[in-house]
Amino acid sequence: MVSETSFLRRKIPLAISVFVALAIHAPLLIMQLPLRTSYDANFHIFFASHYAQHWFEPWNEKWFAGFSQTTYPPLVHQWIALVSRAIGLDEAFMLVMLLAVILIPVSAYGFARLWVDERAAGYAALLSVFAGTVSFLVYSAGQLPTVLSCTLFLLAVTYFYQWAHAAEWRALLKGLALSLAAASAHHVTLIFGSLIFALPVLWLAMRDRREEGASANAVLGRALVFGVLAAAGIAVVLLPYWISIIQHPIKQVPIPHASRSNLLMNTNIFINYLIVPYGAFLLALPFIVFKGAGHRRLRPLLLAFWFTFILGLGGTTPLPHWILGRAFEILTFERFTLWAVLLGLPIVGLWAEELIDRYSWKAAGGFAIAAVATISLAMGWLTWSPFRPTGGLDVSAVVEFLNRDGHDQYRYLTLGFGNALPKLSTYANAGSVDGEYNSARLLPEMTNYGAAQFTTAKFFGTAGMESLKMMLRHANHYGLKYIFVYDAYYEPLLVFTGWRQIETFNQGAITAWVKDDVPPAHKIISDARPAPWEGVLWGILPMASSVVAILFLILLPDRRLARIGNLLTIPAPEPVYAPEVQP
Amino acid sequence: MKASLALLLVMVTAALIALGWVQSGGVTSHEISAARTPEQAVEALMADVEAHNWNRAYARLADTGTVEKQDFIRDLSGSNGSLRTYSNLQSFTVWPLHATDEDATVRVRMTWSSAIGPMDDVRDLHLRHAGDVWTIDWPKPNFPKVPPQVIPVNYLRWDVIGRNAGDEWGVENVDTPNVRITSMNAIDRPEGLVLVGEVVNEDTVPAYVSVNATLLKPDQSTLDQESSFDMIAHTLLPRQVSPYRIDFPGMRIRQVKSVRMDVKSLLVPASADPVIAVANQKLGKDALGGNVLSGDLLNQSGQNVDIAQVVAAYYDANGKVIWVSNGYVDQALVPDFPVPFAVNIPKDIAPKVESYHLVVNHYSRKNG
Repeated sequence: MVSETSFLRRKIPLAISVFVALAIHAPLLIMQLPLRTSYDANFHIFFASHYAQHWFEPWNEKWFAGFSQTTYPPLVHQWIALVSRAIGLDEAFMLVMLLAVILIPVSAYGFARLWVDERAAGYAALLSVFAGTVSFLVYSAGQLPTVLSCTLFLLAVTYFYQWAHAAEWRALLKGLALSLAAASAHHVTLIFGSLIFALPVLWLAMRDRREEGASANAVLGRALVFGVLAAAGIAVVLLPYWISIIQHPIKQVPIPHASRSNLLMNTNIFINYLIVPYGAFLLALPFIVFKGAGHRRLRPLLLAFWFTFILGLGGTTPLPHWILGRAFEILTFERFTLWAVLLGLPIVGLWAEELIDRYSWKAAGGFAIAAVATISLAMGWLTWSPFRPTGGLDVSAVVEFLNRDGHDQYRYLTLGFGNALPKLSTYANAGSVDGEYNSARLLPEMTNYGAAQFTTAKFFGTAGMESLKMMLRHANHYGLKYIFVYDAYYEPLLVFTGWRQIETFNQGAITAWVKDDVPPAHKIISDARPAPWEGVLWGILPMASSVVAILFLILLPDRRLARIGNLLTIPAPEPVYAPEVQP
Repeated sequence: MKASLALLLVMVTAALIALGWVQSGGVTSHEISAARTPEQAVEALMADVEAHNWNRAYARLADTGTVEKQDFIRDLSGSNGSLRTYSNLQSFTVWPLHATDEDATVRVRMTWSSAIGPMDDVRDLHLRHAGDVWTIDWPKPNFPKVPPQVIPVNYLRWDVIGRNAGDEWGVENVDTPNVRITSMNAIDRPEGLVLVGEVVNEDTVPAYVSVNATLLKPDQSTLDQESSFDMIAHTLLPRQVSPYRIDFPGMRIRQVKSVRMDVKSLLVPASADPVIAVANQKLGKDALGGNVLSGDLLNQSGQNVDIAQVVAAYYDANGKVIWVSNGYVDQALVPDFPVPFAVNIPKDIAPKVESYHLVVNHYSRKNG
């Protein structure tokens, strides 16, 4: 048992968690690790590079023979573009990623404080730094918008609670601004994640209000005000996005993704999407379920966690398919693990508090080892994983080829480049018929087949190769003259369909192929091109929402959260809970 | 409440996972894996091949003494850079041909996803009932064994010189080879309009050839545009003739006023090597009853040919090209070892075929 004055009974200051996050992630991000190990880092840098050159023109000619960047909320990319003016694109990506990672413990702490006492929330914040899912999303997936949007939404719901519970106007303003900024960062988090976080908090605000002897109707009314204002704001800020998805809803043939499969049917997928993101967090599941079920206050949090956890299992259970319907075939489910962990951490923080009070240094050591093991596994998986991104491929020779002698009059294709394609596209002047963002593609050669990019066609079996063949058939129409091959698998098809090898790069690792009778590329007319006014909105409002959020956070400082009532706590010396929440 | 909610969540989670397991085919695959029937045994074998679980697949064979494991793997996954080495088993269909309590014959149609598109491989497998399970008699593969020998190389070769490093192919300051379309026939097929014909290199230098066709409406505007794609020999040596076929899916002859044919040719370096002879050609039926032109390819050169493609033109009694089809060979052509090929012919075309002409294209990795 730990005494009242023990060092272990002190709460962990948030600054410590932030510093630990910096200590762990800053060196890795300064090394630019995600550029070599993640799937999406190059993709986000590519989007940012377009804003860096054409801030008010969301139509990007470099992929899919032209596509609209209004299909992806722009905030993260615009911030990278802005910062890149000073330090370059890659470094800007890392800096914004670092900011997102630092916000993880801050938002985890704020969210946990709604449910548990300061000490447990401190543990939750510190443990969030070591969460496998964070490292997985940062270094393996490279999903910067998911991470940043999630942290912003978590911060927003803490202000939402303060507004709904206590009618604080400052909280309303900050909550709304943060919601708009979060929505401007990531659409999937907006559509699915926001409700998962907001609904249990709304229930909590109503419950706390009732316990104070007041009516919960006022809470509901204020929540409605918040919801209406947020919805209206998001509708306006992301108007070009809504226009684009209404005009071109995603109707393409579903593309298989491992996160949608039954994780129990394949060991590598099981490790990749369950063991690595959760790590030692899985050991806490029984406690989360029984402690969450045991306290009325925690039940909505438990239910939200359970629901998100089940969704994160992808096709392991039929529930995601039942709930999401067609959207199940479009979403990827790794991001749900981040949401599930952040929802579960307040209860884990409580568990840590209880165990440390009971077993002192042994428990603290156990948690420390589990936390380090979890992040180590996630980082080690970058090496051990059979899924290897190719983002580190040196494409400079191909860029140089495309940018000389008028080669950029034609379009190009890469085969076997994987996620080095966006890196090439960032620096090459020529456009490609391929691209890495499935939701933006409208070319029938892609959407009529159940395959993703041409550059990874072979991984989609017959569907992928048939899709590629259809594009090669239409090479003349698209002005597709050059193909760069980093996987000899594709060479036979090129030989038999009339392409000839003309150059080799990188000591023969990359070959360049040409089709001689292809005319120069012409613009492909598309009704998906946003109107000029949409470009202006897109260039101003999302960025403005984040600037307003920052100003509100600076100019309207938080009041203490002490007003939140009936927090779960572990009073010394007996490890029991506040009388009002005892079973 | 505490226990009941926790218990409820655990039970619902377990039920959902169990349901997901059933929906994902977990139970079925467990049953198949048990190999209690001849079909299940073959399905289990194919599932293991699909998953590249060669150890388990090999363990399902009846008599592993007659087929070495490496030979079994080589038989299915290919060797010598053949098309099969660029393939993965994508799906399979199994149906019984004959069964008693002791033995059975099962036909399996394997659909391989390959570098040039889907490829089918049909095999009849004999099975034996051993205890509770059925095991498969895998036929001993017949791999080429060519005795060491010297093959003199005296083929023709054309090189192109005087090309600057910065020049692109196709812009050399030389005349393009004289290539001519000798015939063109438009056919309405259920899938759409098809143009078939032949093209000849009339020059004394090799040509790189591509045939494009544009369908024109009555107002001379473009209706559709397609190319010969892989239904042609793109590299033509002097005086060489190649069939071509251009498909216009969904189009009908009645929609078309005229057709503009466009043959692009380009001077390229080329070689007459490797020489691939075609022997034992005959029109007949395949195992599934489809019409095919089959025969053997014989590599008469000294180097392996990784992947060979046969393009065939079929003529009617008047000598008119009535169809063009192609087929790929999934075995590598090692020197002096015949490899069978088969090219499909549509059922309604086959009776009209009086003669045919074959050209063989090839790809070898080391040559690019």
